[in-house]
Amino acid sequence: MRIEEAKKIYIFSLGLRIWHWVNFLTIITLFVTGLYIGRAFFSGPTGVEATYAYEEGLTMGFIRKVHFIAGYVLLASFIFRLLIALFSKRDRLVLPTFWRRNYWVGLKEITLKYLLIMRDDEGHEYIRNACARTVYPLVYLAILFMIVTGFGMYGMSNPSGFWASLFGWIVWFLGGEFPTHMWHHWIAWLIIIFAVLHVYFVVREEAIKKNGELSSMFNGYKFFKERPVDLDDIK
Amino acid sequence: METFWETFKRHGVSRRDFIKFATTITGMMGLAPTMVPTVVRAMETKPRVPVIWIHGLECTCCSESFIRSATPLASDVVLSMISLEYDDTLSAAAGEPLEEHRKKIMKEYWGNYILAVEGNPPLGEDGMYCIVAGKPFLEHLKESAEGAKAIIAWGSCASWGCVQAAKPNPTTAVPVDRVITNKPIIKVPGCPPIAEVMTGVVMYMVLFDRIPPLDSQGRPKMFYGNRIHDTCYRRAFFNAGQFVERFDDDAAKKGWCLYKMGCRGPTTYNQCGSIRWYNGLSYPIQAGHGCIGCSEKDFWDNGPFYERLTNIPVPKQEADADKVGATIAAAAVGGAIVHGVASKLRNSGKKEE
Ligand code: HEM
Ligand code: HEM
Ligand code: SF4
Ligand code: SF4
Repeated sequence: MRIEEAKKIYIFSLGLRIWHWVNFLTIITLFVTGLYIGRAFFSGPTGVEATYAYEEGLTMGFIRKVHFIAGYVLLASFIFRLLIALFSKRDRLVLPTFWRRNYWVGLKEITLKYLLIMRDDEGHEYIRNACARTVYPLVYLAILFMIVTGFGMYGMSNPSGFWASLFGWIVWFLGGEFPTHMWHHWIAWLIIIFAVLHVYFVVREEAIKKNGELSSMFNGYKFFKERPVDLDDIK
Repeated sequence: METFWETFKRHGVSRRDFIKFATTITGMMGLAPTMVPTVVRAMETKPRVPVIWIHGLECTCCSESFIRSATPLASDVVLSMISLEYDDTLSAAAGEPLEEHRKKIMKEYWGNYILAVEGNPPLGEDGMYCIVAGKPFLEHLKESAEGAKAIIAWGSCASWGCVQAAKPNPTTAVPVDRVITNKPIIKVPGCPPIAEVMTGVVMYMVLFDRIPPLDSQGRPKMFYGNRIHDTCYRRAFFNAGQFVERFDDDAAKKGWCLYKMGCRGPTTYNQCGSIRWYNGLSYPIQAGHGCIGCSEKDFWDNGPFYERLTNIPVPKQEADADKVGATIAAAAVGGAIVHGVASKLRNSGKKEE
């Protein structure tokens, strides 16, 4: 397919693109620091009095501080994401459209394509395929879950403080603080496994269709041969 | 009933010692020094409160702990602050008359006595797994609770279920609040709870004639408002990343943090780090062993106690979240590569019209 024949459509707003990359960077930071918190796989400075070692190098105290700062950034960017969705239609693309026929047709097509039964240039074109439409909302839920459990555990150092009164309930809902730690840990891995597959499917789309998929999260545009059936979702 | 002050006088306690005692217990109850006059007044005017103490499915470690309370001495509490009317474990030899006495006390102080429950009722086989005075403990508990002003659930058994409720819970042992739902229940978890916490709760209830402020889980805020981790004297080593790796290594000898040995301090709410045990002598972490989280719900199922992370059931494998997560992530990368190559091949050439 040559670019001239294709329609160039503006899909992702600047706000969404900024959110996406801030979100990506914070989650990677949270994951790496979180893994250390869960399993301290190297020791802090030795030969130094603990009281002073605290301020030297990569210590548990420092890594936790980074985790919590990134946690605040994640919360802020999540709220930002909700706000832009409130005010602009194109930022609501994430909502799955179960009630429409084209969602189900799309789900059948994308499944056949991923099973290699159908070629990727067959079937209809979509702004966002049904598989992504289904998974992204779950990713937002997973991020929200990490925020709630994270700030729950964080806040319980003062059970009558602000964060605990906001998110402390999750600790008891999950059956205590130890299970909350475990859930926080499991869902962390789930998000990373999503990220691996997510990057794969983005690269795959780019490699097969050369439709600007990969660059779309930077400049906002994708290319289409025909009119995407779900074009109305962003117009 | 006589007041505490009257009882103290009868025992020959001087006014000075009485005031000292009142000051000490004010601190033990987690109250501000400005509350001392209130406590003194309460001790001069409040009558002793009758207590019925019953035992269900349990190991009696709560009683064992209670009798070791140093401030105040358990004997002071039992002899001068409450009026312990019934305790089947202590007075088993009394037999039938004791049961008569329990019924009499219940009738006489209907709506005014405190019911202290140690252990919990097993529901399986109509409660036949625990028999007290010829009847299932379940009935014993329900009957004794009926006229109680409030119920103290001693220990992790009465509060959460504890070891006898561990999976698969063969006797269907349940915490007290699953059976009694129409009375205020104060949970004092721990296996056992710290002695001074137990006496502190009792003192608060009898002196102020109300239940202590509770958190959302029904535990007295002043004793369960802190994580061990946040009061632990080894916390500096945690923050510095200095950890014990094995129980016989140099770090263990130096007293570094037990986090990697599975210490549950970061997830456990209790006073071990501050009140400590045996009159403030020590507590498990000080003795070199990690906390196992004995005052937390389900701590018995949240093992292994010597691992930081729980195992995820994987057939024929010991695997925690990191192992399982890394394996799946690696499999996803591998799968992506294979699927990617296959996709490229499938889409090569021209679209077949
Ligand atoms: C932790 C890592 C990541 C997370 C949690 C994540 C999450 C998301 C979410 C939720 C969306 C949908 C946005 C919306 O419409 O509301 C999205 C879209 C997108 N992401 Fe990511 N992302 C991650 C990493 C990456 C990386 C590393 C890349 C680049 C290779 C990437 C490229 C894209 C692209 C191209 C889209 C648009 C896809 C489409 O139109 O369906 N993402 N991402
Ligand atoms: C996607 C985002 C996040 C990821 C991947 C992540 C990852 C992790 C991991 C793997 C752990 C170790 C769990 C354990 O074994 O105890 C952890 C701990 C923790 N995280 Fe997060 N986390 C995220 C978001 C947050 C947020 C938003 C907060 C809020 C401040 C937060 C606060 C905490 C706290 C308080 C702990 C326990 C620290 C400790 O026990 O010392 N996390 N995180
Ligand atoms: S020994 Fe346990 S409670 Fe103490 S600082 Fe280390 S992890 Fe926390
Ligand atoms: S240190 Fe932990 S396990 Fe030990 S008595 Fe205290 S709460 Fe229970």
